[in-house]
Amino acid sequence: MPKDSPVDPRGPRFSAWMTTAILAIVLLTGWWRLLAAQTVLFAMCAFISLKLNPWGHVYRYAIQPRLTPTSEREEAAPLRFAQGVGFVFALIGTLGYATGLTTLGMVATGMALVAALLNAALGLCLGCEMYLVLRRYVPAFARPQ
Amino acid sequence: MTGVWALLGALAVAGAIGVLLKVREGRISRSKDTIDLPAPVRDLLAPGVTLVQLSTTFCAPCRHAKVILRDLADRTDGLTHAELDVTNLPDVTTKLGVMRTPTTIALTSDGTEVLRVGGVPKRDALLAALRPHLP
Repeated sequence: MPKDSPVDPRGPRFSAWMTTAILAIVLLTGWWRLLAAQTVLFAMCAFISLKLNPWGHVYRYAIQPRLTPTSEREEAAPLRFAQGVGFVFALIGTLGYATGLTTLGMVATGMALVAALLNAALGLCLGCEMYLVLRRYVPAFARPQ
Repeated sequence: MTGVWALLGALAVAGAIGVLLKVREGRISRSKDTIDLPAPVRDLLAPGVTLVQLSTTFCAPCRHAKVILRDLADRTDGLTHAELDVTNLPDVTTKLGVMRTPTTIALTSDGTEVLRVGGVPKRDALLAALRPHLP
């Protein structure tokens, strides 16, 4: 897995707001194709590179130049891990909606929205803080990174 | 219509978790019982009090905790800061009963737990709680 360099922490916050908006639209409309697209986006960021996130590009070209520069940087590993957690929930949500298990789709999408909103509003990465719990109960997280 | 309720529910849950975590952030708790310290933790103990900070690769706030604790240890006699990456040490965290990172455990040189802090510590509150145990 290629390594990403540390990023301006305001970029992922912007991206989390966009993700929150997308997931809210999915909950309101049940438009599972949009959730499928978000799932693919989560997967690309988690498993290939954060550079593939279009919201990151929007932030860099449209928003960052208008903000006061900051020397603060955030490591990429927690961000990619968070995208991986988002991917799991979005995938379950997509499968739920697409196969008619709408309640499952809503619950999984709702959980992804909770995590995205906490990240956007408070800068809190729920999946990262709970890594130890995830590792204990979800064996897939136990592989060394 | 169900979607609207689902969205409102998710917003309420996010609000509740956010408030809960903010309230608990940096809270200091005293240990109730003595545990046999795992070797990677015991190896870090220094004279006086050692702040053993448990971190993982995926933990963004661990960096902030490290800055605060390192600075506090540099300015305080008898206080040492040590960080332990527990990403691949699940046995250590299970034994210590730690569920989130960063968690900081203050230990005396003989391995007695003085207190522990969940989340990013609040500098002044932590120092006040440590005072009675410092030389």
